[in-house]
Amino acid sequence: MSRFTMQEVGWEPRIPPVEAESATPAQLAALEACPPAQRRSTYFLTLAQDPASLGERGALFNSVMYAPRGLPRAERELATAVVSIVNGCIYCTSVHARRFAELTRDTAEMQRLLDDGIGTGLPPRRRAIVDFSAKLTAEPNAVTAADLKPLRAAGLDDLEILDLIHSIAMFANANRLMQSLGRSVAP
Amino acid sequence: MAEDDLVERLLGIAPGSPLAALRLQREAIRRHTQGAWRELVLPEHPGGVSHAERAALALRVARLGGHPALIAECEAVLARTGEPAAGPRTELLLRYADLVAETPERCGQAEIDALSAQGMSPQDIVAVTQLIAFIPFQVRLLAGLRAMQEEASA
Repeated sequence: MSRFTMQEVGWEPRIPPVEAESATPAQLAALEACPPAQRRSTYFLTLAQDPASLGERGALFNSVMYAPRGLPRAERELATAVVSIVNGCIYCTSVHARRFAELTRDTAEMQRLLDDGIGTGLPPRRRAIVDFSAKLTAEPNAVTAADLKPLRAAGLDDLEILDLIHSIAMFANANRLMQSLGRSVAP
Repeated sequence: MAEDDLVERLLGIAPGSPLAALRLQREAIRRHTQGAWRELVLPEHPGGVSHAERAALALRVARLGGHPALIAECEAVLARTGEPAAGPRTELLLRYADLVAETPERCGQAEIDALSAQGMSPQDIVAVTQLIAFIPFQVRLLAGLRAMQEEASA
């Protein structure tokens, strides 16, 4: 059995998160700029220790994941789940695998991806997204125009490819933050 | 004068080119990519992590990432700030950069506690971790956009 799961995984920080009672005005302002669902999360309260980086990086993250049009949300979740698998981030994998399953109602396909690995059989468009996500994550400097061909063949346009690149790049960042500032706690 | 856009400068993406126009369809991402670089590497108020330490960390991770133009940019930033003072704190920070950039799954409580023991506050620890983790984002963004450039010129 694989160590990756779609179940709720916990995350425990290695430094104290900001507490509402003792937060500085800058920390409160940076949290206020985050979407409401994020303001109470232990992870965001931990990042709020440094309000300047939370502000810019948080806004970047939300634009990458939720900007309208372009690559469908479910495919951004697929890409970020694959990056998280390649990087071994159990927490991020669980969150984005679950979101993919919720958006597509295709729990079985995601479960196979988690259990059998990213080489598991997939329809062509998803295959192309998964392969590109894995390569840009593991060997960014080896990526060339040839790697875009399967994406084009699967029908991705310029904006969709840009969104895919942004999603993959964002999780090179997100996985590293999650894995170093805290640890995944099994369900 | 418009703010520098590091990504476009490093890749030679000309204003008004198709790729520049495409990036403007994601204007917020473009702006916050630059904003995060500024807040992490060139902040107006560097707090407990000096400009020299920030530049040295960025360069260390850029070298691991292997993107020549980004490495050159970080070298130029470090040339302006000067090297951070040699000593156990700088050595520890550079080792932490290697760990977070290359094998973050091997980071544990001991590595974070070692930063605290060098006098780093929770804010400093988040700041350096954000900085170290941002460079791998840039490396993949640059690599992906480079492939799009190459595709367009084929």
